[in-house]
Amino acid sequence: MSVIVLESVTKRYESGAETVVALENVDFHADRGEMVSIIGPSGSGKSTMLNVIGLLDTPTGGTVRIDDRVVSDFSEAELTEERRSGIGFVFQDFHLLPMLTAVENVELPSMWDTSVDRRDRAVDLLHRVGLGDRLTHTPDELSGGQRQRVAIARALINEPDIVLADEPTGNLDRDTGATILDELTRFTTDEDVAVVSVTHDEQLVEYADRVVELIDGVVQE
Amino acid sequence: MKPSDLLTRFPSVLMAWRNLGRNRVRTALATLGIVIGVVAIASLGIAGAAIQQQATTDLGSLTNEVTVTSGQDSDVDGVTDDQVARIERLLTDARVVPQKTNTTTIESREGEAFVTVTGLTEASALYNASAGEAPDRLQSGALLSAGTARELGLELGDPVEYEGRLYRIRGLIEAEGGFGGGGNELVIPPSGLADQQHYDSVTIVAADGEAATAIVDRLEAEFNDGEEEELSVTSFASAQENIDSFLNTLNLALLGIGSISLVVASVAILNVMLMSTIERRGEIGVLRAVGIRRGEILRMILTEAAFIGVIGGAVGALVSLGVGLVLFDAVAGDALLVVRWSSARYLVFGFAFAVVASVLSGLYPAWKAATDRPVEALRG
Ligand SMILES: Nc1ncnc2c1ncn2[C@@H]1O[C@H](COP(=O)(O)OP(=O)(O)OP(=O)(O)O)[C@@H](O)[C@H]1O
Ligand SMILES: [Mg+2]
Repeated sequence: MSVIVLESVTKRYESGAETVVALENVDFHADRGEMVSIIGPSGSGKSTMLNVIGLLDTPTGGTVRIDDRVVSDFSEAELTEERRSGIGFVFQDFHLLPMLTAVENVELPSMWDTSVDRRDRAVDLLHRVGLGDRLTHTPDELSGGQRQRVAIARALINEPDIVLADEPTGNLDRDTGATILDELTRFTTDEDVAVVSVTHDEQLVEYADRVVELIDGVVQE
Repeated sequence: MKPSDLLTRFPSVLMAWRNLGRNRVRTALATLGIVIGVVAIASLGIAGAAIQQQATTDLGSLTNEVTVTSGQDSDVDGVTDDQVARIERLLTDARVVPQKTNTTTIESREGEAFVTVTGLTEASALYNASAGEAPDRLQSGALLSAGTARELGLELGDPVEYEGRLYRIRGLIEAEGGFGGGGNELVIPPSGLADQQHYDSVTIVAADGEAATAIVDRLEAEFNDGEEEELSVTSFASAQENIDSFLNTLNLALLGIGSISLVVASVAILNVMLMSTIERRGEIGVLRAVGIRRGEILRMILTEAAFIGVIGGAVGALVSLGVGLVLFDAVAGDALLVVRWSSARYLVFGFAFAVVASVLSGLYPAWKAATDRPVEALRG
C-alpha cells in the first residue's frame, strides 16, 4: 500500500496580478521500500511537490492522502504530529543545529518526546552511516559529507514511513554524493521506508527505482 | 543521574541554554540591561525604606504620646486633680502622667544652667536613663539631663537644689529624639512643686500612634463639646501620618524611576530576542519541519528570555543587597537592617519584576517564531 498519494494536486502562487502555477494536476504515490527520483529543470516545481508531500505546504487543489486519511482535514497540530512520526527530511544544506553534537542532532525530532529515549537508536544510526567515532562532534567539526550523513540519521530517528530529500547531494562533490546515495538506497530496504529525492543531477537517477519528471509543474509520462 | 541526563528531560532548558551560549556577548549585554534595571528598582526601593526607617526613629516615642493642657475656655489655669482623675478613669489602657513644670537656674562650682523643672511620679514612662535609673515611681531624688550634668560637672549622687530643697541625682536622662524636649531638664517628685495647685500638662503614653489618635478623639468627646474647649488635646500622631504619606509618595516616585529602567531593559531583551529569532529563522523552520510543535518552540524561546531574567535578576538582587548594606550603614548606622522585610522585599520585587518583564518581552518573538510557516522559514 502506498505511504502517500497525491491526486490531481495543483499549487498556484498568486502575487498581485500574476499567477504562477507551480504544480498542475499532479498524480503521485510512493511505496515502502522504493526509491523515487523527481527530476526536472529549475523552477519546474520539484521543491513545491516535495513540500506538499512533506506536509509543509498545502496545495490549492486536489487531494493528499496519508494511509487513506485526507490531509486537508488536518489541523496544524496534526500535521506537525504526522511529520514528527511519519516523515524524515534531508535538506540540501544539511540544516543541522550548530550548538548540538552529532548525536543530539540525530535525536532532535524526538527531543521533546520525553517518554521515549532515542539515544541508543541515534548512536546505532550514526554507526550505520559510518560516524560511530564522531558522536560528540558538533557540525562545524564535520565535513559536508559527514554532516549530510548525520542529517540522514536524523531523518530516520523516528522510524518514518517516508524520507524526503531535496537535492541531498547538491552541496557535495561527486564521490561524496555517491556515498550519500548509497546510504539512502541501503536504508530504503533496511528500514523499509519510501525515499523520495529531488535532483537535477543525472547521477541520482542511477540509484532510483522509479523516476518522475516534472516540466512546468506537469508530470511527464 | 548526570546533569546532561537531567537536561534531556527538559529539552527546552537544554536548547535555551545552548542557544544563549552561541552569542555570549549579546546574552551578557541583555543580562547586564536587566541587572541595571533590577539594581535601579531595588536600590531606590531600599533607599526609600532607609529614609522611612530613619524618619520614624527620629520622631521616636513622641508619636505615641498625647499631651493634654488647659483649654482656652477653662476656668482654671492648668489641669485639675479632678480632671486628671477623669482622664485616668477614661483611659484604663494607657499610662497617664500628670506633670507640673517651672523653670529655674541651678548652680555648681563649674557654672550655672537654666533648666526646665518637671514634677512627676512616673519617670520611667517618659524618660530613659543613660546612667542611674528612671524609676517607675519617683518619690525622692531627681533626674537631670546628661548634657546639663556634663556642663555643670555633676555626677550621680551629687545634690541639686530647687526652691531651697536638695535632691540627689538618681539618673541622667538622654535628650529624646525629635522636636523640643530633652534640652536642659530637671525632673523631681511632684511634691517639690506642691505650691502649684494645678498640673501644667498631662502626658498620655499610648501603645502606638494609632492608639494615640483614638485617645485624642475620646478625650475631645469627653471634655470638649462643641465650641467649648475645656482641655487642649494634642498628639504627634497626625504629624507622623503626614510624614508617612509623604514618604510613601517619595517611595513610589523612586520605584517609578527604577521601573522605567527595567522597562528599558525589557525593550532591550525584546530587541535581542527578536534579532536572534530572526537570525535563526531557518533553524526554527527545520525544527518545525521535523515535527517540533509550536508550543515547544514557544517554550524554548520563552525559556531563553526567562534565563536572562533569572540570571540578571539574581545578579541584580545581589548587587542591590550590597548597595543596601552600604546605604543602611550610612543612614542608620546598622548595615544589617537591610535584611528586614520592609527593605529586603525590594530585592524580591526587583527579582520577580526582572523575570516577569523578561518573559513578557520574550512573548512576542517566541510567538512570531512559533507561528512562522516552516516552508517560508526554510526558503529563508
Ligand atoms: N512562495 C512562492 N511565491 C511565489 N512563487 C513561488 C513560491 N515558491 C515557488 N514559487 C514558484 O513556483 C515555481 C516552482 O518552484 P520550485 O521551488 O518548486 O522549483 P524547483 O523545481 O524546486 O526549482 P530548483 O530546481 O531551482 O530548486 C517557480 O516558478 C517559483 O518561482
Ligand atoms: Mg528546489
